[in-house]
Amino acid sequence: MAEVEETLKRLQTQKGVQGIILVNTEGIPIKSTMNNPTTTQHANLMHNFVLKARSTVHEIDPQNDLTFLQIHSKKNEIIVAPDKDYFLIAIQNPTK
Amino acid sequence: MAPPTSLSQAASAALATGGAASAKGPGRPGQLQDETLGVASVPSQWRGVRGIRGETKSCQTASIATAEASTQARSHAEAQVQTEAPVPVSMLPPSRLDTTRLAAFLQRVEAMVIRELNKNWQSHAFDGFEVNWMEQQQTVSCLHTLCYPPAQGQGLHVTSISWNTTGSVVACAYGRLDDGDWSTLKSFVCAWNLDRRGLNPRQPSAVVEVPSAALCLAFHPTQPSHLAGGLYSGEVLVWDMSHPEDPLLWRTGLTDDTHTDPVYQVVWLPEPRQSHRFQVLSVATDGKVLLWQGVGAGRLQLTEGFALVIQQLPRSTKLRKPPRGETEVGTTAVAFSSFDPSLFVLGTEGGFPVKCSLTAEEAALTRMPSSVPLRAPAQFTFSPHGGPIYSVSCSPFHRNLFLSAGTDGHVHLYSMLQAQPLISLQLSYKYLFAVRWSPVRPLVFAAASGEGDVQLFDLQKSSQKPTVSIKQTEDGSPVYCLEFNSQQTQLLAAGDAKGTVKVWQLSTEFTEQGPRETEDLDQLAAEVAT
Repeated sequence: MAEVEETLKRLQTQKGVQGIILVNTEGIPIKSTMNNPTTTQHANLMHNFVLKARSTVHEIDPQNDLTFLQIHSKKNEIIVAPDKDYFLIAIQNPTK
Repeated sequence: MAPPTSLSQAASAALATGGAASAKGPGRPGQLQDETLGVASVPSQWRGVRGIRGETKSCQTASIATAEASTQARSHAEAQVQTEAPVPVSMLPPSRLDTTRLAAFLQRVEAMVIRELNKNWQSHAFDGFEVNWMEQQQTVSCLHTLCYPPAQGQGLHVTSISWNTTGSVVACAYGRLDDGDWSTLKSFVCAWNLDRRGLNPRQPSAVVEVPSAALCLAFHPTQPSHLAGGLYSGEVLVWDMSHPEDPLLWRTGLTDDTHTDPVYQVVWLPEPRQSHRFQVLSVATDGKVLLWQGVGAGRLQLTEGFALVIQQLPRSTKLRKPPRGETEVGTTAVAFSSFDPSLFVLGTEGGFPVKCSLTAEEAALTRMPSSVPLRAPAQFTFSPHGGPIYSVSCSPFHRNLFLSAGTDGHVHLYSMLQAQPLISLQLSYKYLFAVRWSPVRPLVFAAASGEGDVQLFDLQKSSQKPTVSIKQTEDGSPVYCLEFNSQQTQLLAAGDAKGTVKVWQLSTEFTEQGPRETEDLDQLAAEVAT
């Protein structure tokens, strides 16, 4: 448990990171460094999006699979690392 | 062919003289006699005389075959449906976590995620990269010019404008802002639905007659057709604009609780315990700030009240020495903070904004009669303008910043943390009647001036002069009110003294937020304050 917390802390202290959310395969947030409404909103929306991205990659090439997803927007970046059990969502504001 | 003239002449002579001796030449006079000729008749062709020729015909449908049958449900079951408030998905309790699998997952992805985060931080790939999702518009143009001719005929001004919650209806209140007496002039509140096809700019989709000049309007935050307004007589009314034949929903009436001075601004506030129901807050120059709730039978009842008394103002800035006795401070404008719903700023006739709170407990030292105890809301007083304030606006992007504008032609940008304004800009040599922050661009605000133009300021571009100055009236008569449309963010409505409401379409630079504007606003607040 402590290891999990340490890893999350390491990720949170990276430059420009606004929040880290851990989501399970059903889209329910497990751990988060942000407040509850923001967390649930991001978790719900990103879950569907990641599943859609994964099925798109599969359809183009069935041997291929999604390894990483990054959305670049005007105000921030949303990074998703998918896996069979969990998704890791990170929101970063990369302004210098 | 040779006409038989000799023959006809002889014949006519025979006729004329009745067979008397025919004239052989002009020498011998013939005798004229009366003769009755036969009657020549022509039968009448007129339809009525000839009579109508008619024939009778009849037809009959063939007989229709009918059969009777009946059905009956043998058994039925009752069911009821009820929506429930959505249960927010909450986080899983820690006991159900499988920590080993979680740890393994994090170990797998951590390195990759950190690498990508660093790459983003150092990457210059997206510097200056901008995507246009909407069509770019380069200039400000006037989309609609709306007016109500009967109100214009009475010489009424547009005193207040409000957009409804869906952003498709704009309502304006007609009244006079320069009249000092208790006029019994009937006045109007008009609403135009801009999304309707066949919009006639001179014919509002709904018109409500009000007994006295209407000075302020506010649409309900969630009900698209409910509109609250304050009158010159001190009354506050709420209308339902979707029922044009009987629009009045609630009114305060003229009781002891009602304002004794014109109501300059009304605002809808969520109720403290039930956030989906709203109450109306009204601000008038008698110094009272009152909260009304609609109860049955169409009456607005006073639930809470505040009174601003000059002796109870915090001495955070130097004000004039107060005269003896309790004196109320006339309040002319109110703005609520978007970050703290109980915090609000009042603009006063003395020219100083006052920071107030709905949760204040101290009783107000006033002798004004009221069914609900009046409290003193003031917590902090800011340094004054050179004249009465007509408008205040709290920034939707920064919790501490607000603007105020008044008769000295200056706009002051204040921070809640200090009494002196951060920036003071002179926009006009005449009065400024309204100032509003843009709902999308953190550094943009608009001001309506007495010189007849709407000035748009972008603090990012220039803090000295307006970026765009829109001329609303040709003869320089003042623009009294303006409002941004928070749903269709390129629209800005402004009303002037000629009784017209103009809906302006702003250029894209005013409607799309740049990438770093919130930070720039924070920086501005921080650097100027120190």
